[in-house]
This record gives sequence, C-alpha cells and structure tokens, in this order.
Amino acid sequence: MVNRKVAKVLTFRYKILAGIFLLLAAGLVLLPKYEKHEGIKPEELLSNAISPERYISTDELANKIINQDPSFIMIDVRNETEFNKYSIPNSINIPLKKLLDIDAIGYLNQSQYDVIFISNDHFYADQAWMLCNRLDYKNLRVLKGGINNWYLTIINPTKPTDNMPAEDFELYSFRKSASMFFGVVYPEQLKVEKKPEVKKVTPKKVIPIKKKKKMPVEGGC
Amino acid sequence: MKELEKTKRISIASVLFILVVLIGLLTYKRPKHMYAVNSKTTLENITTENYLISLNEIENSDVILIDIRNQYEFEKGHLNNALNMYAPEILNEENTGILEELKSTNKTIIMYGNTPEEVVVPFMILHQLGYQNLKIATIKNSYSQNKLITQNIVVEKSEADINAFISESIKKAALQPKPTPKAVKTPKKIIPIKKKKKMPVEGGC
Repeated sequence: MVNRKVAKVLTFRYKILAGIFLLLAAGLVLLPKYEKHEGIKPEELLSNAISPERYISTDELANKIINQDPSFIMIDVRNETEFNKYSIPNSINIPLKKLLDIDAIGYLNQSQYDVIFISNDHFYADQAWMLCNRLDYKNLRVLKGGINNWYLTIINPTKPTDNMPAEDFELYSFRKSASMFFGVVYPEQLKVEKKPEVKKVTPKKVIPIKKKKKMPVEGGC
Repeated sequence: MKELEKTKRISIASVLFILVVLIGLLTYKRPKHMYAVNSKTTLENITTENYLISLNEIENSDVILIDIRNQYEFEKGHLNNALNMYAPEILNEENTGILEELKSTNKTIIMYGNTPEEVVVPFMILHQLGYQNLKIATIKNSYSQNKLITQNIVVEKSEADINAFISESIKKAALQPKPTPKAVKTPKKIIPIKKKKKMPVEGGC
C-alpha cells in the first residue's frame, strides 16, 4: 500500500519540482529592492570625482552666458535668502536640501543640457555633484570657486600691474567687458558718451565771435 | 528502453544545470566596496548633521587625523599625528584596511586638505560607504617660507555683496561726469545773452 502511494506521488515529481522553482522565482520578485546599492560603483564615483574636468572656470561660464550658449543650465544650490540676494542671471535655485526632490530631478536627470552647480564656494556644489554623479546623471559640472570667485574674477577683476605678461591684460580686458555685461559700470564708460556733447559746444562759441565783428562797424556809423 | 533514455536525458540536463549554478557562484565577485547609505539619507545627513570641525576643537580632543593631500605635500608639512591618505587612493586595499580598523575603534576621523573643498570628495565617498564618525576640518593650509601655516576658515561664506558692488559702481560712474558739464554750461549762457542786449542800445545812438 505504502509503495503504491509513493509511486503515485512520484508520478507528479516533475510537476512538484517545477512548482518549487516557480515559488523560488516568485520569491526573487518579492525581494526588497537593493536600495542602498543604487547608482554607480564607489570606485567609479571616485575616479569621476578626481578628474578636474568636472570644474568649469568663471571665465568659461561668463563667456557662455555672454554668447547666449543654449546648451547649459545653472543650478544654484544655496538657500533661498542667499539666492535672492544675488544670483548669476538665469540660474535656477534648488537648495541642497531639496536636491533629490521629484521637482528637481527633471532638471538634473537629463542629457540635453549641461548642468552647472553653483554655490558660494564650491563646497556645497561639490556635494550636490557627488550625489548626482552617484545616481549616474549626465553632464554635470561645478563652477570652480563659486560665487566668491565669480565676484573676484568677473564682477570685480583686479587690474594687472605693468610687469605682468600680456595674457593677463587680455584676460583683464575680457573680464572687464564681461563685468560691464553683468551690470557693473566703469567711469570711463560714461566718458566715451560725453565726447559728442563737447563737439556740440564748439559751434555755439563761433556765433558770438561773429557778432562781435559787427559791433564795431555799427559803432562807426 | 524508453524509460532509460528518459532518465539519461534528465541526468544530463540536471548535471548541466548544477554546473551552470556552480560556475555562476564561483565567478561571482562580491564588490569590494558597498554603499551602506543611499543617496536620500546621505543628503539628509549632510544637510542636518554638523560634520565640520575647527582647528581649536581638533587640538582639544582625541581624534585621528587624515591628510588627504599627496605624499609630497604631506612630507613638506602636516599636522601632528596625521595619517596620509591621498584622496584618489582612498579606496585601495591598504587604506581601506586602516579605515576598517579605525571604524572598529569608533574614534572620530577628521580629514583635512589644503582647503575644506578638497575633502568633499573623499568625505562623501566614505560617508556613503557607511563610515559614521567622519568630520571635515575647516582649515586652510598654506606655506610661508617652507613652514606650514594652518588657519581656520568658514565654509561657504559669502565674501562680497555683489549687488551692492554693482550699484556702487553705477553711483560712482554717475557722480564723476556731473561736475564737468556744469562747468562748461554756465559760461556759455551768460556771455552771448548780455552782448545781444547791449547792441540795440548802441545802435540807437
């Protein structure tokens, strides 16, 4: 009797095996997502982070803005009050705390534009870069030196002294014109406008001289 | 006969199956470094926790210092009792060994470089790998006459009010031209008008 029952069960053995495998497979689907290990490998992240390519200099950025390069967006990761105080024109404010919010992902996770992170130094911007690079977002850059360096180089460039090489003077003239673009006014900028006014004054002077000549003639009569 | 052939096929299939599983298991390499913190929590941690430490606090407490600059700069001058771990090599075997050891002793690890910004990369990587007691020293190292000078600095401090600077520059530029036109205008007006008035009087004579 026992043998028969065993034999009966054994006829279903393949079906039972298949059932077990199906169950195991279903278990794999139900396994919790390996959330912690999201993104690229730590080694890859490190090698990406070390390459200096991820920095963009303030001069490059200014050049891009002035030429109205459409291929990039600027993300300002400072808090709102600092952003409202001063921000580079057309930059978008996403405070570091809200970096991984759903609203922000649209800006960060795309391959159409270069993303440039901006903060006061590049401390917070670097942190934002590290987080986004781990999630394998593309085309991320960091403004080297941040807003402070932006001020020192573009807004208020220091004049090179006479013993400095010619490149410095070229750089200075570029930075100066860039700073004019961003709203800084230099005294000599207005002097150029004054010159035509001075020319208009000269014809006025000529007229009274002519009248003087007429006077002695009338007096002679 | 048929039954025998069936079992043969099954046994071949099962042997192959087991082989595949074995090969899979043997070739599977466990990654050396695994993230222990996901990005959301990392972001939360770095925005809420205080992981910055100033020079005075370093001197007063029992901590482990890690210099993330390269060996050349490390040998040129470094803080007392600091270990050297060049940032790009932070994940190699030697360094991870040391870090694991430090992790088990539960001491605070403080990293520093020439500027705090340099430390962000190794800090963020180690933090995401699960090292908890990490801090960044907010110091700036520079050399003067071959001596290391360490200063405290404030991270992410806004150094200049750019809006104020721009409006100041506009004011300055606007102030300078004003005196010059005034000086030119006044003499012009007075001289011709007076002369015209005198002329008809003389003609009457």
